[in-house]
Amino acid sequence: MIRDYYNRHALDEKLRGAPRPPSANHLAIGHRQAVAMALAMAGEEEAVEKLLSSTTEFAVRFSAPGEWLVVSENDTPEGLQRRLDALCSARVYIVDQSEARVLFRLSGPSTRRILAKGIGLDLHPTAFAVGTSANAFCGHIAVNLARTGEDAFELIAPRSFAESLFDDLMTMGREYDLTAAFAA
Amino acid sequence: MASLITCPHCGVRPKEEFAIRGDASLLRPAPTASDEAWHDYVYVRANPRGRTLEHWQHVGGCRRFLVVERDTFTHEVHSVTDGAAFARENGR
Repeated sequence: MIRDYYNRHALDEKLRGAPRPPSANHLAIGHRQAVAMALAMAGEEEAVEKLLSSTTEFAVRFSAPGEWLVVSENDTPEGLQRRLDALCSARVYIVDQSEARVLFRLSGPSTRRILAKGIGLDLHPTAFAVGTSANAFCGHIAVNLARTGEDAFELIAPRSFAESLFDDLMTMGREYDLTAAFAA
Repeated sequence: MASLITCPHCGVRPKEEFAIRGDASLLRPAPTASDEAWHDYVYVRANPRGRTLEHWQHVGGCRRFLVVERDTFTHEVHSVTDGAAFARENGR
């Protein structure tokens, strides 16, 4: 049997059927966004960081020194690649990750309590402010965690771990009536 | 064992995110060094009680190699430096 993985979202099977109306705590699964990894060439780390943070067309997530994940809501994967090439070519290696990563957006009043069940980071606003991002483990799955709002977090996980992470997050949020659906 | 490590890139993290990659105080012998010197470098390890220098890799975070100076007796962590910075400082 031939399956077209390219056109199939990793969580299609999990989110089949009519979605429940979103409750206060909601997990939105992103689709149609472009994700790229940017790796600065040796010695260009600071220049690339400055260039990447100078625009508002995409969000920049820190993952390691000289390495970032770039998330764009409006661009296609090719468009994001072109935009990054134009911005800082010859200083950075760009690898498209749009089909390789799955975006989870967790929002609601109990998000910190939900995430505390799987993530060993201090998520108090004074320790992990809005706009901060870092690589971390959620259970045993490596994710990139970013705080996008006071009560809103974004997790970027490898596609092959998406179903496990989804199950984990739903279990973690069950006590808080967490609902899930694809983002509009 | 030390349970919290302050990664210079990621902040305070639980030890489960790290992989211990062995003694960081050893110096690689010259390629022409004697077999004894190479044997010592590759296989012979002390089991010290007190301060040790170790390579810890932050596999669950920035994936960088860090040099952690910790006490095997009191579990205190004295310093955490990036591996590249440590090598530069020590002229390796």
